[in-house]
Amino acid sequence: MKMTLLIARKEFTEMLRDGRFRGAGAIVFTLLAGALLLGWQSHREVSAQHRSAQEATRAQWLQQGKKNPHSAAHYGVYAFKPQVPLSLVDHGTDPYTGVAVWLEAHKQNEFKYRPAQDATAVQRLGELTGATVLQLLVPLLIVLLTFSAFSGERELGTLRQLFSLGVSPAELAAGKALGVAAALGVWLVPAAILGSVAIVAASGGGEVMAAAPRAGWMGLSYLLYFGAFTGVSLAVSAWAPSSRVALMVLLGFWMMNGLVAPRVAADLAKSQSPSPSAFAFAQQMQLALAKGSDGHDPGARAKALETELLKKYNVDRPEALPVNLLGVRLQDSENHGNEVFDESYGALWENFAAQNRIHQRVAWMAPGLAMRSISMGFAGTDFAQHTHFAKAAEEYRRMIQRTMNEELTHRAPKTGAPHLAGPELWNKVAPFAYTAPEAGWVAERQAPALGVVAGWFAGSILLAGWAARRIRVV
Amino acid sequence: MLLRLMTYEWRNLSADRTPLWIALFLGLTMAYGTWNGSQWVSFQRETIEAARQEERERLEGLRREIPLVEAGERKVSAFTDPRLPSAVGRGPGARYVVMPPYGLGALAVGQSDLYPYYFKVTTGSKQTFLNNDEIENPVHLLTGRFDASFVLLYLFPLVILACSYNLVSAEKEGGTLALALSQPIALPALTMAKLLPRVGLVISMPVLLSLGLMAAGGGDLRAEGAGIRLALWVAITVAYGLFWFALAVAVNAWGRGSATNAMVLAGLWLLFVVLIPSVLNVAVKAAYPVPSRVEMIQAMRVAGDAATRQGAHLLARYLEDHPEMAPAEKGGAPDFGTLQVAVNEATERAVQPVRDRFDAQVAGQQAMVDRFRFLSPAIVAQAAFNDVAGASAGRYSHFLAQADIYHRQWRDYFVPRILRKEKLAAADVDRFPAFAYREEEWGQVAGRLGVALLGLLLPAGLVAGAGWRWLGRYPIAGS
Repeated sequence: MKMTLLIARKEFTEMLRDGRFRGAGAIVFTLLAGALLLGWQSHREVSAQHRSAQEATRAQWLQQGKKNPHSAAHYGVYAFKPQVPLSLVDHGTDPYTGVAVWLEAHKQNEFKYRPAQDATAVQRLGELTGATVLQLLVPLLIVLLTFSAFSGERELGTLRQLFSLGVSPAELAAGKALGVAAALGVWLVPAAILGSVAIVAASGGGEVMAAAPRAGWMGLSYLLYFGAFTGVSLAVSAWAPSSRVALMVLLGFWMMNGLVAPRVAADLAKSQSPSPSAFAFAQQMQLALAKGSDGHDPGARAKALETELLKKYNVDRPEALPVNLLGVRLQDSENHGNEVFDESYGALWENFAAQNRIHQRVAWMAPGLAMRSISMGFAGTDFAQHTHFAKAAEEYRRMIQRTMNEELTHRAPKTGAPHLAGPELWNKVAPFAYTAPEAGWVAERQAPALGVVAGWFAGSILLAGWAARRIRVV
Repeated sequence: MLLRLMTYEWRNLSADRTPLWIALFLGLTMAYGTWNGSQWVSFQRETIEAARQEERERLEGLRREIPLVEAGERKVSAFTDPRLPSAVGRGPGARYVVMPPYGLGALAVGQSDLYPYYFKVTTGSKQTFLNNDEIENPVHLLTGRFDASFVLLYLFPLVILACSYNLVSAEKEGGTLALALSQPIALPALTMAKLLPRVGLVISMPVLLSLGLMAAGGGDLRAEGAGIRLALWVAITVAYGLFWFALAVAVNAWGRGSATNAMVLAGLWLLFVVLIPSVLNVAVKAAYPVPSRVEMIQAMRVAGDAATRQGAHLLARYLEDHPEMAPAEKGGAPDFGTLQVAVNEATERAVQPVRDRFDAQVAGQQAMVDRFRFLSPAIVAQAAFNDVAGASAGRYSHFLAQADIYHRQWRDYFVPRILRKEKLAAADVDRFPAFAYREEEWGQVAGRLGVALLGLLLPAGLVAGAGWRWLGRYPIAGS
């Protein structure tokens, strides 16, 4: 143990004195700090915009004046996706999912306005976020720091000396790993503190408590990921015949992990579980809406409903019913629509979820995929949490429809004379409130990815130990 | 002498099977990328065909329906009457505007998975049909595609650097440099002799593959301007490759060891391919911030509310401006369709400034990227590859402008008929305006690509020149 610490200290001192490491570390730190600050700034702006828009849409709903409840249902409200504080570290899929959805009668709409559509093609080459730096650049820094850990000693002839002193390969490997970790800590600890400050500054009341466990999970996963990279690098350095080969192999691994694997995984996921075109999706939904799930056209469905009601209340004409037929019919068509939407959107979202599960499976080949999934998950910017919000918004839409249709059913005159409602009805609809899921909810969904990262961490340590024991001294 | 050295070098390369591995790696990745791109092209083509099929059937239905309603055999409401232009122009008669994928679309997916390639144009306002996004897992949009352009932008430079990072340093480390230079040859010439077989090998590979895969059915070479665009694709690939070779020579000329060279080149790759684009992206967003679209949604909402409130008043004013459209008989409350015309018009007019502001910011970003792209050959090449394949945001704007004109034509056809309360006959269905996408003038595209080519050749030349000079001071012996 003492020897390990001694080696770690020597490595640490050496790295700090190495101008190349200082330069590379400073660049990574600057990029990370810059990314976090920019993330914080854009988070502040966007969440202010969303908050004021949410208030405005509420005010418009309340001040829409006197109108028929069904007109109000058509007018509807907008739901704007809130930005959670941790999204400043990892934008995840946010640029590629819409920011707002219109909640109107008869229809579950899609989210519109993907922020990436308002950016240039350069965004597709790379976006400077905390996640990019942590997932791509820090591992590269680790590779550059460790590729010559063993092979370099051998090439200098110092490896033989070390072993002649009675240092065991395991001690040497552990010391090197600790040294790298300490050197990285010099840059990453301040960055983590800065990030935490930014997250706290970005959080409103109560949000900090929700963000803390998420940040904890995220930080721990990143540490395991960095650990895995260190282990793999040390193993390759011990195994490779020369530093040059070690560097080539590690750069190749880094590139496959960060650039090639995500694309291959995406293709694999698409071929295993292809998604429909927007056109086919809309057409199929239209067809289901028009036909009705029970195979009747809406005319027949409405007729059947009328007969049923007449029988239920034992009257012979609609005017004699104690309820307004139009209101009942509107709610009935909503119920039918909701079934269709549940089925169509349910299938689509399950399709994406299945694709994302394939990504997690492929991640056993490339831990970066798992890390990306975990990072987005705890940042609150993955697709699962987009769907979580979309479902909440859809529930709210259905509640508005029910409230409006109940008003029509029970209060509108049966004669078909115009019925106008006012602010007291609009006020019956509570403002839209959304709570993002807790960290545990995310952890449950990210369990396979967490397993991959933990597995890589453990595996890489074993691998490094094994490779160190079998190292050629000369 | 040069030729003889080149022959030796080639034998050297062949002996360690380098050509085979390079051919295999680039061949497989290029073929896979192109196949991937062509899958996306067929997906778009199939979707477009399905939309056209749907349109044909719908219009055929209208032609059948109108005589039935005229004869009184079918009862319809004012919302579904196939004779009413207000009902038909809003949906049942609507036609698609389509931007078909370009003949070389399989080479690069580019921005084409982000922007809609067809709209259903109606008499409604633009915002009701503009956001016709294709369904795609957002994680995949974030990742980007494995297409030929990805192979060339990211992997091709790595192959180049992998086979030239120790071009001179290995000779020195192997002790053969001094030996070789004892012959009547200078270091620059020796470097050239070692470089040329590699350049020929590595650059010809993707060039031949691009041409081969496009000719073998991956592309449609009869598409307008396809020949010249493909030639420019090749030229840009060559220029991009030359830049990386020049960089490798320059780094070698510094006289450091192979391991240092590899690290420096890996760092430069990261700088040009990942870091400069990311930083540029951030910089353009800071210089031309595009606010969240929620602002536009609110503006639309407010304008729509105001217009609906003043519907009747707006219509009166609209008819004052366009007296020729006034209905033949006066009197009676304006119907829903008529009011809608005025409301749409007013909403669109009120929202246009907001929309323009968004467009101006995005245009500002694009202009800044165009100016600063020369900082990184990867950005230049990416934009150029997208341009060749017809997958650039520029082509999308070109399409949008045409769709805009068509939307006006569509309204010009329907709105006067709505206001004059005319009824459509079955024969009118064939007179609805139709849309045909016009490809961008090939001269314009070629001009842009020419600038890109210069933007790659110039830095390549500068770097090569610097490398050449440094080679003259190379420490042949010692370290």
